[in-house]
Amino acid sequence: MGRASLRLLISGIVQGVGFRPFVYRVALLSGVAGYVRNLGGSEVEIRVEGSWGQLRAFLRLFAEKLPPPARIEDLEIIVERWEGIRGFRILPSSREARRRSMIPPDFAVCRDCLSEVLNPHDRRYRYPFNSCAYCGPRFSMMYTVPYDRENTAMRDFPLCTGCEREYRDPWNERRFHAQGISCPKCGPRVWLETIDGEVVETRDPIREAARIIDEGGIVAVKGIGGFHIAALASDDDVVLELRKRKKRPTKPFALMALDSDAAEKLVYLDREARRVLESPEAPILLLPRREDAPVSKYVAPGLDTLGVMIAYSPLHYLLLSETRDKFLIMTSGNVHGKPMCTSIECVREKLKGIVDYVLNHNRVIVNRVDDSVARFTAGRLVLIRRGRGYAPTWIRLGFRLPREVVAFGAELQNAGAVAFEDKVVLTQYIGDTDDYDTLMELEKYLKWFVEQYSIDVSKAVLVADLHPRYNSRRLAEEWASRTGAELILVQHHHAHVASVIAERRMKPGVRRVGIAIDGVGYGLDGSIWGGEVIVTDLASFERVGHLEPQPLPGGDRATEYPARIAIAILTKLMGVDEAVEMAVKLGLVRGLPYGESEARVAAIQAARGNAPLSSSMGRILDAFAALLGVCYHRGYEGEPAIRLEAYGRRGKLLDDVFAPIRGNMVDTTRLFKMVLEALMEGVDRRSLAYTVMWRLGEALAELALRALNNAEDGENVYMAGGAAVNDVIARAVEARLSEEGVKLVLPRKVPAGDGGIALGQVAVAASMLGTS
Amino acid sequence: LAHGSGGRETEDIVLNLIVNLVPESLRSVPGGVGLEALDDGAAIPVPGGYMVFTVDSYTVNPPFFPGGNIGSLAASGTINDLLMMGARPVAALDAIVVEEGFEVSKLREITESLIKTLAENNVALIGGDFKVLPKGQLDKIVVTVAGIGFAKKLILDSNIKPGDKIIVTGPIAEHGALILALQQNLEPKDLVSDAKPLTDLMLPLIEEYGDYIHAARDPTRGGLAMALNDWAEATGTVIVIDEEKIPIREPVRAYTEMLGVDPLTLASEGVALLAVDASKAEEVLQRIHELGYKEARIIGEVKKAERHKGIVLLKSVTGGVRILEPPSGEIVPRIC
Ligand SMILES: [Fe+3]
Ligand SMILES: [Mg+2]
Ligand SMILES: [Zn+2]
Ligand SMILES: [Zn+2]
Repeated sequence: MGRASLRLLISGIVQGVGFRPFVYRVALLSGVAGYVRNLGGSEVEIRVEGSWGQLRAFLRLFAEKLPPPARIEDLEIIVERWEGIRGFRILPSSREARRRSMIPPDFAVCRDCLSEVLNPHDRRYRYPFNSCAYCGPRFSMMYTVPYDRENTAMRDFPLCTGCEREYRDPWNERRFHAQGISCPKCGPRVWLETIDGEVVETRDPIREAARIIDEGGIVAVKGIGGFHIAALASDDDVVLELRKRKKRPTKPFALMALDSDAAEKLVYLDREARRVLESPEAPILLLPRREDAPVSKYVAPGLDTLGVMIAYSPLHYLLLSETRDKFLIMTSGNVHGKPMCTSIECVREKLKGIVDYVLNHNRVIVNRVDDSVARFTAGRLVLIRRGRGYAPTWIRLGFRLPREVVAFGAELQNAGAVAFEDKVVLTQYIGDTDDYDTLMELEKYLKWFVEQYSIDVSKAVLVADLHPRYNSRRLAEEWASRTGAELILVQHHHAHVASVIAERRMKPGVRRVGIAIDGVGYGLDGSIWGGEVIVTDLASFERVGHLEPQPLPGGDRATEYPARIAIAILTKLMGVDEAVEMAVKLGLVRGLPYGESEARVAAIQAARGNAPLSSSMGRILDAFAALLGVCYHRGYEGEPAIRLEAYGRRGKLLDDVFAPIRGNMVDTTRLFKMVLEALMEGVDRRSLAYTVMWRLGEALAELALRALNNAEDGENVYMAGGAAVNDVIARAVEARLSEEGVKLVLPRKVPAGDGGIALGQVAVAASMLGTS
Repeated sequence: LAHGSGGRETEDIVLNLIVNLVPESLRSVPGGVGLEALDDGAAIPVPGGYMVFTVDSYTVNPPFFPGGNIGSLAASGTINDLLMMGARPVAALDAIVVEEGFEVSKLREITESLIKTLAENNVALIGGDFKVLPKGQLDKIVVTVAGIGFAKKLILDSNIKPGDKIIVTGPIAEHGALILALQQNLEPKDLVSDAKPLTDLMLPLIEEYGDYIHAARDPTRGGLAMALNDWAEATGTVIVIDEEKIPIREPVRAYTEMLGVDPLTLASEGVALLAVDASKAEEVLQRIHELGYKEARIIGEVKKAERHKGIVLLKSVTGGVRILEPPSGEIVPRIC
């Protein structure tokens, strides 16, 4: 007979996105019988019975009409015995599902909502807070789980009768049981005020804000997960003024364009980039800048890329559409190094002197969520910062945790995590927890997630980085002593590699090879690591290769002024006096605030062994950035290395410059010497920059290949760390690996840098305890 | 070696190898101040006040430096330790150990400085000891000075209260930066040690404002970072410091930047750190200025602990707030 009964088990982002009403409609349209219900966590169970024709229609409609923000990770179809179910019903969720369902992230405005906002005949015409089941804020406005209106900031705005009707109507695809909906009658309001809190009388505050910005004003804009600072990106004077006010001399500003077409005038967009920009996650995407982009050169000094996102809420869309350029600087509304403001009180206190006006509204931002940042590395989309749109989506492991885990991450660009069952929930991007207020934010959000997912901290395992001076570790120690929970310390690069392995749902107990390249991580020997090849079965690891440790004269000072590292290497090659002479000749002394005297101090520190050693990739890239005159000062995290990547992008690979391997170490001193000699001969600097990055990647890949002999997973090399997103390095690693048929695996769901380290910490700690 | 530099490690050693080995009943005399306080000195009650005692051994490489030598340094250090307890220095005893072969003329210069410094401050030298050790058993010279003073009322670190203002009486890290620079074979032309007794400052302050000065410390080894952390830890408070307000002379800043060290961890030998009752802080500051310490500043205040106890928070120029750690022997970069 042509009939069947199927059970579909689906996991992914399938809750809080209108998924069950969608299934209900598709079922009615195709004529199948059955039910749909939320199972535990992020799983939905669908039962369908009908003729093969009906079932085919159901599956086709299911695939075609899937709500845009829904993400299907796993789909299992089981053939069941025919039961003769009648009708189709939405069943109540299982209890498990209420306790621990995935907290949905914030979604960019969908096409349907936007077209309502732009339609003069729609009752939501020019309504800045339009949303539906498929789009709008979620996590940023949730006080607690489950995601029901009374648990969100929308509880301040009871539904009007019009909205209520839509909410109750099962045939209203986008508003039936959609928790966040509202309209101009019942929803939040927007207004414009001065930084001192005086309301600006105007009929259209958004248009007025746009006018002020067009005239060169700087305006704070309350958005989804925090306040932005908006300003013209096309005007040098405005950008420089903003840099001055924000005390932010070089760090690139993010841009927001009206839409992809507007973005295309600024950057080169291919189909994939367009898809990412327009996705519900709507991250800031780092893309190659067009030579003719009408953007001030002060927006991203020294870089050949621009960070661009598109208007992701109706408010932003309306604002952008009123501006002359259709793109603006849209940077976080914070003081340098501090969390972004989420309240008007914070804006008035902290952004006074930075912004002139505030485009404010009265929907509370409950949870701070920064814009996510992504880029393409070796052709793959990788996350730099995981915030809005991605967090706090959980990540499933390939094994079950023996106990619940709370991970505290590292220190800079930090995120923590809570973990239970086979799920790891990373907090949103928190920031640099060397700042005390930011550390308190880490604690606040860890506590929030602990509560939302009912984790018993005293029975859980806490994990922190091995670095004795990380604030995050101190915090973890404090939690441990307060609750009696066990604390496990995990080495930084071990955690980096583990995060990639864990993300791919690999199991512990299999020896795999990883490369961890970044700026700094505390090594087992108390020195600073950061260019490591390791073999790990998750629970333990072995360092099987690394970059040569180089002196960092003056410690943190050397990371701020990379010429110091270059001078230290010169000192190794030629002694103090000649190194100083060479530093003068090369212009390196120009990169030091105290010029030649500082060069001498650095050289002496290096010569006398009075400098910490580091095998860090970041630091050696810094040294080359200084040597090649690309960058002398770190104005923001990773600046010298980032600029080196930009600088070398159009260079050629030079045959006679390479990174020799000595034992299990990449000899960066000899590479440095070769580059120095080539520089003296007048070889093209861009090609030298390119070659340095390529050779470092190639050499690490070589060490990884050697390590594969000793590993059980012989097909993959897992790479992470802040420097792993360097396109040239990643391509070099991939090229060398693929010669031997080995694949390079980069993280997809969590940042390669320290923002993804909490995932690795969870995986390592769980493996140490033994998993099932 | 980190164990003698005045940071966390020194504290550990002192606690483990000394304090904990002394029977509890013998760590102080009744009504006095003893070992456990880990203050600048000790005190024994006598009619009308307290006899205050302190002892300190000085080793410094090099023993001669711009602005003084190990002799003047030892004398001022001991005098300052007494002053920081609220005492008027009265007398001292010294013990000098030199390495065989140490030049007699140099030794003479050192003892002359020591005696001159004591004399200028009206402190009697009432006893002493002198020894020579075979070559190689000692690095040049060690000078130990014990001091005796009298206090009507003690100034003890434990009196710090939330609300107190923190005053520093002069530019910091002068001595520490100089010595560090000399040790790195630099020629610090524009650095001078600030080593000097603070008698002219502290005696009037103790006399006039003794009740309002809740704590006093000369931030020698471990610098401001160590002293402030001691205070915060001992009293379970949070001390918030405004980095911008800390007086640092330009050449000192330059050398510490070049060396990559935090001036807050470097020694001052002629500066007092005071915790002063908020109601009198401005007045005391005024008086300090009148006494010739024109660069004195209020640099922060003591707060009641909310989330964390016993920490020092440093507000940076850019608006960031970091935890100021007590100095530790290992310098480990944290920047990624
Ligand atoms: Fe890292
Ligand atoms: Mg005292
Ligand atoms: Zn929508
Ligand atoms: Zn409504």
